[in-house]
Amino acid sequence: MSAPDSAVRRRFWSRFALAGPVVFLCAALVMCGGALWLPKGPAQIDNLVLPIVLFPAIWAALFFYAYLDRRLARAWAVIGGLSLVHLVVIGVYVMQTMQAAKAAGAGGS
Amino acid sequence: MIKLSQERNKSLLAVHGWSAVFLGLLLYAVILTGVASVFAKELGDWSSPLSAPVADPFRPGTDRMMREFAASVDPQYYEEFFFFPRAGDRLYAFFHKHETDEKGKPRERGVAAEFDPLTQTEIERREGTDEEVDAGDRANALGEFMVELHVRLHLPNPWGLLLTGVLGLAMLVAAITGFVVHRHLIKELFTLRRHKEKLLSARDTHVIAGTWNLPFAFILAFTGSYFSFGSAFGIPAVAMVVFGGDQEKMIETVIGNPPKEDKTPAPMADLDRMIADVRGRTDATLGFVTVQHWGRADSLVTMFMHYPEGKLMGPTYVYGGATGEFRYAKPNLGLQPSTGGALFELMAPLHFGNFAGVFSKSAWFALGFAGAYVTITGLMLWTLRRREERGWRHLARATVWVGYGLPLALVAPAFTYFPLRAAGEMVHGPMMTSFLLVSLAAAGIAWGMRSLTLARRVLLGLSGLALLLLPVARLLTGGVGWGGAFAGGLHTVLALDIAFAVGGLLCLVSALGRPAVPAAASADSELDEAVEA
Repeated sequence: MSAPDSAVRRRFWSRFALAGPVVFLCAALVMCGGALWLPKGPAQIDNLVLPIVLFPAIWAALFFYAYLDRRLARAWAVIGGLSLVHLVVIGVYVMQTMQAAKAAGAGGS
Repeated sequence: MIKLSQERNKSLLAVHGWSAVFLGLLLYAVILTGVASVFAKELGDWSSPLSAPVADPFRPGTDRMMREFAASVDPQYYEEFFFFPRAGDRLYAFFHKHETDEKGKPRERGVAAEFDPLTQTEIERREGTDEEVDAGDRANALGEFMVELHVRLHLPNPWGLLLTGVLGLAMLVAAITGFVVHRHLIKELFTLRRHKEKLLSARDTHVIAGTWNLPFAFILAFTGSYFSFGSAFGIPAVAMVVFGGDQEKMIETVIGNPPKEDKTPAPMADLDRMIADVRGRTDATLGFVTVQHWGRADSLVTMFMHYPEGKLMGPTYVYGGATGEFRYAKPNLGLQPSTGGALFELMAPLHFGNFAGVFSKSAWFALGFAGAYVTITGLMLWTLRRREERGWRHLARATVWVGYGLPLALVAPAFTYFPLRAAGEMVHGPMMTSFLLVSLAAAGIAWGMRSLTLARRVLLGLSGLALLLLPVARLLTGGVGWGGAFAGGLHTVLALDIAFAVGGLLCLVSALGRPAVPAAASADSELDEAVEA
């Protein structure tokens, strides 16, 4: 196998991984994280309902971006960055909730 | 026309084809069963009618039936209760509590009963988890078989839902890329070239059906993947992050009924009076009633209505269960209108096509059928273009197997259902066995016959014969006769008997219509004819 062939193959699999499982994971993180930063709306439920209802749209937008961006490295950076930001938002919220529960438990006892 | 660089257009064309090739056959199965599921309620009405049509499933006397049912049920199941009309407009009622299974997944356990609204008597009763209660259901089994195949391909949760969710996303990709790669969209809506090159003719037919069907395919793919992922993964994931995994709490929050607890025992108010009251508030018909905390002071009765005239959403009406007083009208989700609630409410009518009765259902049936046609012709085109490569010939055979064998396998369970139901036996397991056996036999025909065209014709002919014999199977196992159905006003029974007979005849005519390609003909010409068909 020649060097250019191997580079093309590596690029194909990198794109495949990005547009496939990585984008799906990113869409899932955006859906969960969105429940924490989206406005609640007049009925106090928009933040919970919209990310679930719009999950196919979130996935489709990320998929087509990851698939079509000519610069693969940039696509990785954008999808990775978006995932990381939402991972941090979720992590901070979960830790805060756990600390609050612990404090409430300690106060109760 | 959407202007794209040649490179981008090529990329999108590639993803359009590959998404269909990898998941096309499963997608076809989901679309075809979805087409049948549009009329799941009618299938129940056809296979399990009551002695006469039911003008009003919630007529006065419902309160007495439900009250007597409640008195015979263990009060631990009073946590939640619902009742609504199902096959033949039997009133199906289920008292249950919420619990988690060994793996921590939420489930319901309780007692279900079916009532005849005409005689206002109990027909049968089942007890256990929601899954066990459903497994013993005979009246709705035929429609439910289609729905289960459509929703989760009869795979266990959550894998079936995740798979159909992925199929929905694949269909979404195919619909969006189909829209973008058709460089002359308007022109292609009306272009059908009649020439000797079969590949081009077949391609035109695929493109015309696909182009007209694009907006519908997009809607179905979007709403379908939402329904699959929403329950299998969306609600658990968001509940995990926001509510520490408590799905019940999340559902309670989005539904918006205030969970003010008052466990004081209190007799239930008259359900008949509440039903009469709600009918005075709206022209929409009543579809579904839930009761939270039966027999307690904090009991709430929620009335879900069918779509009001000319609308795709409408309010639900909430009553105090103990007082019978009207409390408030609310959207399905939340206590006041919201963007999220409105989008959620739109998903069901857009996916099920049930917003304008049999007319919208027929339109959804026809459009869904066109979607199935586009999927299968797309796969045939793909294999035809690659006919020189031997590996693709297996996909061509698989396409004939699923394309023409699946309809046959879908009809087969009905022939198991009718005699077993008449004998009072359980029906679900044997129905699945007959489906799998006929699928296997269809695979034998698709791969066993040298001529692909002949295999297609045999499968199509057998499907036609099976459809034609469906009314006979129904009649021979104690089903109501045509005279009785006509005199009794059971129009769904007559309409579906006629529809199956006509569908069967059309399949037979199509199978016998043209001379079969001789066995000695080349595989290329067989593929040509298979695609043209």
